[in-house]
Amino acid sequence: MGETTPEAEPRRLAEEARDRVRFEEEALDLADQVYRVARRLVSTREEAEDLMQETYARAFRAWGSFQPGTNLRAWLLRILTNLNIDRGRRHQRSPDLQPLEEGDYYLYNKLEEAGREPNVEQERVDERLSQDDVVSALSAVPHDFRDVIVLVDIGDFSYADAAQILEIPIGTVMSRLHRGRRILKRELAEQTVGSV
Amino acid sequence: MAIGSEIDPCEKCEELLQSFLDRELSDAERAEAEVHLDSCSYCRKRYRFEEELRRFVRQAAVEEMPPDLKQKLADLRTPLF
Repeated sequence: MGETTPEAEPRRLAEEARDRVRFEEEALDLADQVYRVARRLVSTREEAEDLMQETYARAFRAWGSFQPGTNLRAWLLRILTNLNIDRGRRHQRSPDLQPLEEGDYYLYNKLEEAGREPNVEQERVDERLSQDDVVSALSAVPHDFRDVIVLVDIGDFSYADAAQILEIPIGTVMSRLHRGRRILKRELAEQTVGSV
Repeated sequence: MAIGSEIDPCEKCEELLQSFLDRELSDAERAEAEVHLDSCSYCRKRYRFEEELRRFVRQAAVEEMPPDLKQKLADLRTPLF
């Protein structure tokens, strides 16, 4: 049974305050990494900032439900992606209605056809694509696919973490990642070669 | 078997590209892809390009957090007293 001495309650409160402060500091230390993912899940910097503030406000309120020793970054991202979905930022067609993506060699082949054949010995992607090309191609990828690409390819989350964050099966993470990367390459081809 | 029903090895290699780079292939599939890549510069160039592309996307997509946002987040902490 718990202690019943008069000193027990203040001590418990002090310990709780110490744990909460530690949690808040750890969460704030991860803010840069969480923002990098948040920024690419939404369209504008303002939306990303709002989402971050809502996420941290909720995380600080719900800190007691975090299991110490588990992945705090994934826990924060789970709150963030749920908020993003709840806020109805999904106006695109469902994945099933999306046109089929092209094959994995599509972008390379398009660059080659356009006379921008990548150097055989040294593949310098940055000589042919710009940062803006990537950002705008990524934003054109439907949300369900983009979420997975952003978590795995930009946020460095494992398939298992991404599955947990998005609350979808791991097989769905893998298939969306495969299709999403192909859609991204099709978008890159359209934006770079298509405009030549 | 009808003529032309065999799978084009480059087509197969293209199908394996993402799983290869994600290290998701079985040993047998990986060995099959490696044998093909050793002898096929068409596929080899495209695999190298994909590897570079992933690196570039990761780098290009990063936008640093605005400095004042961190303070706004810190202000959301529960007051101690």
